Amino acid sequence: MDLLENDLDIAPTSVVLQAASDFAAALAATPQFQAFEQASERFRLDQAAQQAMQAYQQKQQSLRALWMLNAVSADQRAELERLQNAFINQPVVQEYFAAQTELASLCQMLGDMLSESIGLNYAAACGVSCCG
Amino acid sequence: MNTGFTPALHEATEALVGNLLASEAFICYQQARKCLDQDVEARALLDQLEQTQASLRQKQADRSLTQAEIDALRGLQEQVQRNKVVMAYAQTQQEAIDFLREINQKISQLLGINFAAFANHSTC
Repeated sequence: MDLLENDLDIAPTSVVLQAASDFAAALAATPQFQAFEQASERFRLDQAAQQAMQAYQQKQQSLRALWMLNAVSADQRAELERLQNAFINQPVVQEYFAAQTELASLCQMLGDMLSESIGLNYAAACGVSCCG
Repeated sequence: MNTGFTPALHEATEALVGNLLASEAFICYQQARKCLDQDVEARALLDQLEQTQASLRQKQADRSLTQAEIDALRGLQEQVQRNKVVMAYAQTQQEAIDFLREINQKISQLLGINFAAFANHSTC
């Protein structure tokens, strides 16, 4: 390819993928990632938190059509809010959110560093919008 | 710059950046971007397209958009598509993005989370 003046300077894909694996391993070894993994596991194993999450999600799902029509009553809103609070106030859920925030903060710094160096917005390029 | 990263993470991040920049996709993208930056005509064309699009969006919101303005925009878009420097930039940028997605997939697979989603600053 005429654009590439010296093929010897090009990093093969396998080498870049290895660098990506090393990066993932280094991130996985950080206290933030370890804390997130432990909090995720505690959340997954906590029956009360799982039940609270399911109750909230089921209510949310059952009201979806009414939300679209903007026809949710005050009582239904209050019930949904009560279930949401019951879910997010679970100690393991609070712990999970805190660990998630800490990890996100680290990942954002890393993403910024990558974006600045490569000249592309890492998260945007990978197709991530604010809604996932 | 004090990032608070562990030395291992700092080193791994720098190595990833170095390897990404040395990949074929990113070398081609950087070269195409340099060509675009140095091409006055191509830059002017892109600026004109951007300004026209912004102006037409406003007119669309005001419901004052005319067929002649839509035709003018299409004409500009065709001019952009005929410009080799702009098209080389767009194509190499897409290839760099595709490669970056492959890298993110590898990282995310190993971590069990979508790294790019965690690296995203925006929230709904």
